[in-house]
Amino acid sequence: MEPSNTNHESRYWKSLREYHNDPASADAKAHEFAKGVTDEFDVNTLSPMSRKQFLGALAASAAFAAAGCNSYRDKGEIVPYNKKPEEITLGVANHYASTCTGCAEACGILVKTREGRPIKVDGNPDHPVNKGSVCAQGQASILNLYDPERLKDPMLVSSGILTKTTWKVADTKLIAAFTAAANQKKEIALITHSLTSPSLTKLLGEFAAKYPGAKHYAYELFDGGARQSAWTKSTGGTALPVIAWEKANVVLAVESDFLGYDGNLPEQTRLFASRRDVMKGKNFNRLYSADATMNSTAMNADHRLRVRPDRQLAFVLSLLNEVRPSAQTSAYSLSAFVKENGLDDAVVKQLVNDLKANAGAAIVHAGDTMPEAVHIAVNLLNAALGNDALYRRDQAKHGYAPLIDAEQWSALVARMNAGQVAAVVHVDTNPVYHLAPDLGYADALKKVDTVVTLAELQNETTAVSSFVLPLNHTLEGWGDHQTRTGVLSLQQPVIAPLYNTRQKEAALLIWTAGNPDGYNETLYHDYVMARWEKEVYPAQKAKAGFKAFWLSALHDGVIATNDAAPALPAAKMDVVSTLKNTAVNGTVLALTKNYFVGDGRYANNGWLQEMPHPASKIAWDNYAALSPATAKSLGASEGSMVSVTAGSRSLALPVHVQPGLADDFVAVQLGYGRNVSGSVGENVGFNASVLLSKSDTTAPYTVGGVTLTLTGETYLLASTQEHHALDDTFLKDIHKKRGIIQEGTLAQYAEDPAFLEKEHSDLTIVPRVTYDGVKWGMAIDLNKCTGCGVCTLSCNAENNIPVVGKEQLHKGREMTWIRIDRYFSGEPDAPTVSNQPMLCQHCDNAPCENVCPVVATTHSPDGLNQMAYNRCVGTKYCSNNCPFKVRRFNFFDFRDDFAGGVQYEEPLPLMHNPEVTVRSRGVMEKCTFCVQRIMEGRQHAIEKGEEFTGAGVTVACQEACPAEAIVFGNVNDTTSKIHQYRKHSIGYRVLEEINVGPNVTYIAKLRNTDPV
Amino acid sequence: MNKSFLDYFLKIRVPVILFVALASLTLTYYVSRAERDGVGYAPEQPIPYSHKLHAGTMGIDCQYCHTGASVSRHAMVPPVNTCMNCHTVARKNKPNIIRLTQYYNEGKLMPWKRVHKVPDYAYFNHSVHVNKGIDCQTCHGDIQNMEVVQQTNSWTMNNCIDCHRTAPVKLANIKGIKKGPENCFACHR
Repeated sequence: MEPSNTNHESRYWKSLREYHNDPASADAKAHEFAKGVTDEFDVNTLSPMSRKQFLGALAASAAFAAAGCNSYRDKGEIVPYNKKPEEITLGVANHYASTCTGCAEACGILVKTREGRPIKVDGNPDHPVNKGSVCAQGQASILNLYDPERLKDPMLVSSGILTKTTWKVADTKLIAAFTAAANQKKEIALITHSLTSPSLTKLLGEFAAKYPGAKHYAYELFDGGARQSAWTKSTGGTALPVIAWEKANVVLAVESDFLGYDGNLPEQTRLFASRRDVMKGKNFNRLYSADATMNSTAMNADHRLRVRPDRQLAFVLSLLNEVRPSAQTSAYSLSAFVKENGLDDAVVKQLVNDLKANAGAAIVHAGDTMPEAVHIAVNLLNAALGNDALYRRDQAKHGYAPLIDAEQWSALVARMNAGQVAAVVHVDTNPVYHLAPDLGYADALKKVDTVVTLAELQNETTAVSSFVLPLNHTLEGWGDHQTRTGVLSLQQPVIAPLYNTRQKEAALLIWTAGNPDGYNETLYHDYVMARWEKEVYPAQKAKAGFKAFWLSALHDGVIATNDAAPALPAAKMDVVSTLKNTAVNGTVLALTKNYFVGDGRYANNGWLQEMPHPASKIAWDNYAALSPATAKSLGASEGSMVSVTAGSRSLALPVHVQPGLADDFVAVQLGYGRNVSGSVGENVGFNASVLLSKSDTTAPYTVGGVTLTLTGETYLLASTQEHHALDDTFLKDIHKKRGIIQEGTLAQYAEDPAFLEKEHSDLTIVPRVTYDGVKWGMAIDLNKCTGCGVCTLSCNAENNIPVVGKEQLHKGREMTWIRIDRYFSGEPDAPTVSNQPMLCQHCDNAPCENVCPVVATTHSPDGLNQMAYNRCVGTKYCSNNCPFKVRRFNFFDFRDDFAGGVQYEEPLPLMHNPEVTVRSRGVMEKCTFCVQRIMEGRQHAIEKGEEFTGAGVTVACQEACPAEAIVFGNVNDTTSKIHQYRKHSIGYRVLEEINVGPNVTYIAKLRNTDPV
Repeated sequence: MNKSFLDYFLKIRVPVILFVALASLTLTYYVSRAERDGVGYAPEQPIPYSHKLHAGTMGIDCQYCHTGASVSRHAMVPPVNTCMNCHTVARKNKPNIIRLTQYYNEGKLMPWKRVHKVPDYAYFNHSVHVNKGIDCQTCHGDIQNMEVVQQTNSWTMNNCIDCHRTAPVKLANIKGIKKGPENCFACHR
């Protein structure tokens, strides 16, 4: 059958070099490893030892070994517990429900522990917001717990010299300082991030009651409070609404990365993807993205409009004018806007029609980096369309403290400079790094007598503090958190503090009590429990006693409270007259969120640093992203250093030419360029906070009128983009021919569900193996996959994947077992993106198996492509012969090789999953379909005396996927989900025609583009 | 033809030397095999605990102490508090029990010498074997008759595979037992 799919005609390309047929790109693809990386061999760097000396040393060491062999039968010791805790069985994991405190979303987590050591963090399936998944940071947070560079003891700093001290000494001094401040009626500034904890809020109140000068300031780098203030201005309400994404037929993202890190990623991704489920019918939602930054949401959009952030207000208002024309919006004409910005008229018309046709079931969403005016306009547009029907009435967002804005920061700094502030306490915050330099915060701190920083790792703020107090990790502390009305979740420790650390709340309790001797490990536990007994329990009207109620809440990790959601007032349409056009001339700079290191707090987390950006596939760096046209007019190419100047602020950083970016626009991610961190995160990327300014109070993330000048230098950006290319050199449309990416439109599918099916020859010269028992298979629904990368992080934690570092990553030696391949098609200005998670396909006729000279990789009777590490001698033949390029070779013992061997330092090895071998130098590895979980499932079946059918076995990537895009199971079990997916009419297998028999079924992506 | 020294050397001396060397290597290899595999290894333990007395004479079930055997990969060497279940009362005045009690009271850890070991790249699973009805003695020998525990079988991959292949014959007393898995992932991952 001739493919009727128009997309099949498009040409797929992974980079601009490839698009322009750059011979270097073709050459790079022909070689699995970049040139020279397999023979880095400089005679001068070799050992000066001669052959004779070497043989002599060899003989001597052999003789010593032989002499030392007298106790060769000794096998060491087995040291059992003295008194074994009841709940521990060696080899059996325990799971504890808790709450993640990595950001203001406070998702419910389920922590897997082995022999008392937490080894994996997943979402708490009972948590109503994030259900069973967490974001990439949540998955990787386990690495922070075991970070060898954590602060281990309290420190006193005087004139730059750190001295180790005890908590008692520090607390005594601080209590005296706070008391003195209170007596002198001076301010004590407590600086936190967003408050999510009711108990901590109460405690801050008590602290302020004890020390009357105490004031609390909450801030976030990526939230200037614009969404909140916009909501209040447009409706008069205080509580922000929660959107019922699953009910939206049409979604318009206004520079919103709601599939990335604008809001709650696991929840939003799950609800959005639930409307793209081919198993549930053809009623897909349609996603429009109006953005400049080519973010994760834009990559998944059915239609994309390139709109610069400064023009978003005009765009939204002209849509509003189209939907509900009024005198106040008449200045904004949609047709004029379309013309001025070179938008596709047909797409905009369809957008307007869709919004009107789906009034009440469409949603417009503005991103966190948008200014207040855009948020107001979006609220009004939603109201005009009746889309506020999609605001959930049973639940609203719940905060405990308003965030402060730039004006309040300036006022605080002024008081600090005037000597009115006696003490500043940074409660797990790093404002010296986050704040605009022209605010002068770091200098103002010098005027404050007592600067206290509570932190897990050293940072820019600890460097200028007089007291540095080490904090517990999330998994070592107690707490309670609420981000939605009606949902209260508990945080419990799953391991005793590894070092002499305390949780921030316990430190505050000691100061509030004014008793430096009062510390014990259950201090805050008792506080939270007492508050729950007095304030939470009575309202629950539970039949059980408090103790039983508390234990059950701890077990579940979350309770539903009876708090009624606040009413959502209607929007006041006349607010529109207050909105002023934000458009500016010249080049616009957008400071954006990054995907993995957050506001910089995950800088020392190697797993997160090594995750490539979803669009650029660049890891270990941030960069100035420019559109191809802008780069061309500037004369810049990939990696040329460009100086971005905004007013008096300037930063030089490397250029990345990003297909799909808006023109006359530069996007830079914040959160990089930490200069005080650990050995992993120090000086990775460039600190773009220096481009922030205190004067841009409403939209600190969009800066107009910036100038770009090339410095003439170049810089190496390490990207995974062209690695593991699946295609052949000179056949540019090989993806189409090979069908690696197969996709179509929803309309085609509706017309003929089998529109992608092709004839396949089963001709083979090798005998077919039949699998009559359990046979494992996976399906990945590309309609649901957003390319967020959570699967990769989950796999890293489950399978003990090391960090390799920028240098090795650049050589194509990243070790992740599952990667997200990203293909562009169409024109570089406005490309269409296809994401595809790629992992070992466990082929029935695996080409890797035939070529292994030592039979280290073979096939199991349940269809797994096995890898026996202790048999592998590292010929790399298998990797060479793998058509999917999913095998990973340990060129080094990366744990030893990277950052001075930090991954071997205690206590980091405690993080490893004891069910998976830690691979060393010289062996090949790859996805095992989480064989350790399969074997565990088999063990449980045998324990129960049942036949093992494979039901209930979940692999790590599947468990973590927020979109529920990954299905795994026994394909021979006709009742299983995987069986249904495998026979789906738009399911395909990559490179099926070469007869390797892959066992990962991809459900073709259907784009919902055609007019209904 | 004159017989030179070289002739003698090549025809007689070299083959004899080679033969003796090879023969002694081969002999040593096979004779020492069992010892190298650990058969007969019976180290002295910190407390001279007798399996013969506890498991043999008194007939205490193996899983009373080795609680992991049927639920986990590890059979588990019992913690000191398991001993104290009985020994807070039984034989309190014997010197070794006094030492044991000392360990317990002081919270000291008991450094038992490891007798049985599979390499750490092999993921042996007690639970699947025990729950299939395979006796502990099949691998561990007549443990109920051992005053000092010693290794009686060679624990090489060869031995594992041998039993996996011949289970229906070797373990004919267990009804319906099938061959064990022979694929790599069964033990290595």
